[in-house]
Amino acid sequence: MTIVLEAKNLMKRYGDVVAVDNVSLAVEKGALFGLLGPNGSGKTTMIKMLTGQTRPTSGSATVLGIDVIKDPVDVRGQVGIIPEQETPPSFLTAMEYLEFVAAVRKIPGIETKADWWFDFLDFADKKNVLCKDLSRGTRQKLMFTQAFIHEPALALIDEPLINFDPIMQDVVKDYLAEYVKKGKTIFISTHILEVAEEICSGFAILHKGRLLHTSPVAELTARGEHLPSFFLSLVRKDRHV
Amino acid sequence: MFELFTNMVKEEWRVHSTMFGSLSFALFPVMIFGIAFMGSFLIPLMQTTLPAGNLTLIVHASYLMLGIMVGGFGLLGNEVMNRRFGQASLLAYSARSLPLSEKFIFSNFVVKDTVYYFFLWVLPFGFGYILASPFIGVPLADALLLLLTLTLSFLFGLCSVFFLSAVYARSRLVLWLVLMAIVMGVGILAAMTGTNPVLFFPPLLLYSAFTWTNFLFSCALLVVLFGVAIVLFNPESVGSEKMYKDSFAPLTRQFSFLPNPPLAAKDSLDLYRSGSLVGQTIFSFLLPLAVIWFFLSLLGPFFPPHGLLFVVAVTTGVIASTMYTWVTMFDTFGPYACLPVAVSTLIASKLTTFAILQVIPAVFIAAVALLSGEAAYLIPAVVLGISVSFYAVGVMAWLCGLSPNVLVYDVKVLFVYLVLVGIVLAIFTTAAFANPYFALFAVILFIPTWLLVRKAKVRWDAVDPAGF
Repeated sequence: MTIVLEAKNLMKRYGDVVAVDNVSLAVEKGALFGLLGPNGSGKTTMIKMLTGQTRPTSGSATVLGIDVIKDPVDVRGQVGIIPEQETPPSFLTAMEYLEFVAAVRKIPGIETKADWWFDFLDFADKKNVLCKDLSRGTRQKLMFTQAFIHEPALALIDEPLINFDPIMQDVVKDYLAEYVKKGKTIFISTHILEVAEEICSGFAILHKGRLLHTSPVAELTARGEHLPSFFLSLVRKDRHV
Repeated sequence: MFELFTNMVKEEWRVHSTMFGSLSFALFPVMIFGIAFMGSFLIPLMQTTLPAGNLTLIVHASYLMLGIMVGGFGLLGNEVMNRRFGQASLLAYSARSLPLSEKFIFSNFVVKDTVYYFFLWVLPFGFGYILASPFIGVPLADALLLLLTLTLSFLFGLCSVFFLSAVYARSRLVLWLVLMAIVMGVGILAAMTGTNPVLFFPPLLLYSAFTWTNFLFSCALLVVLFGVAIVLFNPESVGSEKMYKDSFAPLTRQFSFLPNPPLAAKDSLDLYRSGSLVGQTIFSFLLPLAVIWFFLSLLGPFFPPHGLLFVVAVTTGVIASTMYTWVTMFDTFGPYACLPVAVSTLIASKLTTFAILQVIPAVFIAAVALLSGEAAYLIPAVVLGISVSFYAVGVMAWLCGLSPNVLVYDVKVLFVYLVLVGIVLAIFTTAAFANPYFALFAVILFIPTWLLVRKAKVRWDAVDPAGF
């Protein structure tokens, strides 16, 4: 088994607040791994650390074999990222933003690829609209596109479904499921538990910055348990600790 | 609805103070106070070479310019809300979630800016002068009057830009017509009275001879400018969609000779489509510099021969260095955080765009040289101005990275900036006064500039990008 993402005792402090507290986990190649947790549990901070968007206070992590502390830019060059907030540059159009991403990532044949994505996510009519004028859902489509347009070996995606309508959620879920079948890996942060149970092969639960549990989803279902109820009971129990 | 105003003030405070701590920011007005207090003791010495009236002129011109620059920074018509607060602001967007009109929110925004910068800049300066006044033989009433007229100067700068930018947002043609009407009006006034039109500037009139009529006239003029601007204010509707044909790819090809063509192309589109290139050039560059040139020209007899040109060149250089803030104000590191782009790469790209923009100050200095009959010193003046601009931006990049708009209010940062830039200004202005061609030696400033930029890249790459 090839490990494509490994965190060892990752910790992040913001002043007195411990956002992520000594978290260790590993993700295998080809997995669709879900990082679950309530609001403020440290999911976004975890993704930011794993993609070199913020430096850990202590601990270490490698992504696709690259040290995220030593080579954060290299990590971001190899992976695809959907950040927590959809923030394409205000004064570029959707098409221009994808061209910008392609130029920075050195992706050839961007026009054909972009057109495929505009059709696939059904926003071709918005390709010449300024990003600042796009709706949240369309911005999310654009950010989804920029994360996958170079078909990275690993994508780290933070709440990718949150602004999508049910039809688009379905399209994206299917895409993610197909994507990992090609041997690629996805690390997804979400609090839509039903989706996680449906598409994830493995998961970890964070609460108050601590890792409460990690295992394959199949292990849970073999015990006759469902992810949403397991998650709720674990987090509720931890609240009283 | 006083809550909106107080919360906007809190918001402004937090925008500034979150970057470097409340204490550093709180010390900023204390530093202004200290400079004014200590500087006041130099007035009796300066009066031996410079008449008191001219000193008054300089101080009022400075506060007029301060108002113009504060106004020009944020109040640029339609883009103002996005420009000033971006997606981060809840209050500027509260028309969408609260029963408050855009105009009401914008009025609060303007009043907030006025009050906020009054306490940040105007009051500390006036207070320093007032406290020093007993020691330098200035009657308290005169010091208080100066505080009043400086406040009015600041407000005239702020509301003039606010008025002009609101006109600009409606129609560029009308803006040019208004500007032409102002220039013609001033010209006719000067021709009819045979007096320098600067002396009709209401705060100066008021300072030279306080009358209630003049005071009320000044206030009425301000109210009219503010009122008309608020009536003209026309925010874009939230749902409007602006469409453009693809300009990114052709621009990237045109910029292929630059180190980072895609980043340069993005910066160019940001500047053009936001209206900044024209708006900032007029309101944050040409207008303040025209005012400075106008006021400085009155002090011509007190400069050495050809000195005025080089003072204008150096001042232009310092103001031109703020063009770095034009290209860093659009986006934080956020949009780049999902891409393989380092902070140092972004700094380099913003500095490249800045370098292209230096054509504007170069042309301005050349125009001043030609218009003032100093064509022989055009090249030394341009070299001095542009070298100072690059040096000042090097200092700015080293001290502030990608956040000069915010970090400039950190008292430690501002102090270091003033010292590093001030020393260089003093040396090269003196050199140019001694011999205009000595200004050419300013090219050596590119060496410290290069070192500062190198240090800036290393320094800001080491800072957690989440801090931007």
